[in-house]
Amino acid sequence: MSERGNLEISNVSKSYQVEGKELRVLDHINLKVAPGEFISIVGPSGCGKSTLLRLVVGLDDNYGGEILLDNKPISGTSLQRGIVFQDHRLLPWLTLEDNIDLALENSGLPNAQRRRAVAEHVALVGLTGFEKVYPHQLSGGMSQRAAIARGLVSRPEILLLDEPLGALDALTRLRLQEELLRIWRAERVTMLLVTHDVEEAIYLSDRIVVMHSTPGRIASDIKVDLPWPRDRASHEFADVRREILRSMDAYSSVAARAA
Amino acid sequence: MSVTTVNATTPAVRKTQQPDKANKRRVKPRDLAIGLVLPLTILLLWQVAAQRAWISPIFLPLPSTTLFSFFDMVERQSFHIDFLASISIVTQAFVYGTLLGVGLGIAAGLSQTVERIFGPTLDGIRHIPGIAWLPLIVLWVGIGPAAKIVVITKTVFFPVFLNTLQGIRAVEKNFIELADVLTLTRWQLVRKVIIPGAMPSILVGVRYGASLAWALVVVAEGLSGMEGIGYLIFRAQSLLMTDQLLVCMVVIGVVGFLIDRSMALLQRHVLRWKQGFEG
Ligand SMILES: Nc1ncnc2c1ncn2[C@@H]1O[C@H](COP(=O)(O)OP(=O)(O)OP(=O)(O)O)[C@@H](O)[C@H]1O
Ligand SMILES: [Mg+2]
Repeated sequence: MSERGNLEISNVSKSYQVEGKELRVLDHINLKVAPGEFISIVGPSGCGKSTLLRLVVGLDDNYGGEILLDNKPISGTSLQRGIVFQDHRLLPWLTLEDNIDLALENSGLPNAQRRRAVAEHVALVGLTGFEKVYPHQLSGGMSQRAAIARGLVSRPEILLLDEPLGALDALTRLRLQEELLRIWRAERVTMLLVTHDVEEAIYLSDRIVVMHSTPGRIASDIKVDLPWPRDRASHEFADVRREILRSMDAYSSVAARAA
Repeated sequence: MSVTTVNATTPAVRKTQQPDKANKRRVKPRDLAIGLVLPLTILLLWQVAAQRAWISPIFLPLPSTTLFSFFDMVERQSFHIDFLASISIVTQAFVYGTLLGVGLGIAAGLSQTVERIFGPTLDGIRHIPGIAWLPLIVLWVGIGPAAKIVVITKTVFFPVFLNTLQGIRAVEKNFIELADVLTLTRWQLVRKVIIPGAMPSILVGVRYGASLAWALVVVAEGLSGMEGIGYLIFRAQSLLMTDQLLVCMVVIGVVGFLIDRSMALLQRHVLRWKQGFEG
């Protein structure tokens, strides 16, 4: 097992300037992710989940605190850190294969190896046969899978996933969850997944981080100690689910009282 | 879950649309027929009007006379030389204008400094129509093709430049962010993201520029010089050779039509990645 992909977020705070006023979006976030771990983040809309991922991937370096990958502070973007955006963000003018290949542009791999890596990852997400197809000819689920392939092809140590299955129908979603697990095991990559779906989080993760909002902070960090493959209908599953919902609910009852 | 089942259970693939698309693109004979009704009616009216001498034959010759006069012009007046003179001017001016427009458009789109340096000057030049430049430039370089090429280059340049600039500014910020995440260099960003992203807009400018160029060459040749289809049309007017005048008009129309069609084909080919793009 790879010992890389060791992420440490310590004391991270982030504010935006909105109309001259400071809007605190993240407040003293502390999170340690071990190599190869699968962590999910759940929390209400607007609590700063995407903002946190943007900081970790390096799109924004205007924050307080420290983000370390393998004990080194991150700076800017890097091929070590991949992200799958919620809107798949495939470039419409590139074929599926060229979209995935774009992630290897600066990988330093020779062409033959690049081609092989692309073909492997197309196969990994089950899109063999669609290499020459343009994004508008793909379904939403296929586009998401292509985006996941692009995130993985450069072999990042850590892959950040921002609601990658958000806009999918229930069945496709279940199928892609299955694929995510398979990919995670095959690639042994550290995964940080943002989702609104508590069941999805429990089904996939080693740990689940619950966030509360205004300002965004971590409310609880729950270890999921269920054996694989997980049974969504089991009592233990329901117990974890109750625990997480309670942790999320604490927020809304506080908010309700405050209102 | 195996890879194959994933594929088999994903029916939402739109790859099998090719025959459907081909169908849409091929003009059906009936549609073509509908489009021909009006021109044929006009031709018929022309024939009747000329035959019954509703309009004096000096001002409106028969369609058959006009056709004959076309062959006559080719044989006895080297019409093709004038024709090629016009085509050559337009082609050169179109190429220069497009290259300059795209080049400077990209530079200004990428750099605020470039835009600030060139912006005000170009804006000033833009508001003086191409034709208004012609007399001055003719004084400088003479009545040969050079002056016309300069003026038409200017006319092609602006729509191409402005559309390129606007196309680049409108490239989605999300895509730029993606390029950042993939650690693309600035040059890779321009080549893989910005130029393709601006291409629809660039091609709108190029297509418009091409049609302007062809229209303008007629005017420019009418105003200065001793050759070209524009020269012929004004000469025909002053000599009351209405048949030759009509020949020129028809040829201008046909060439303009062909230019626009080929631009549409180019657009369709380059933008084939765009959903539902039909030129
Ligand atoms: N560029 C920005 N300028 C100002 N405020 C911003 C900016 N981006 C995000 N915000 C604010 O930061 C907060 C957190 O946004 P963020 O997108 O991280 O939420 P989220 O947890 O991902 O929500 P969702 O689940 O709906 O995606 C929101 O209140 C949002 O209004
Ligand atoms: Mg979000």
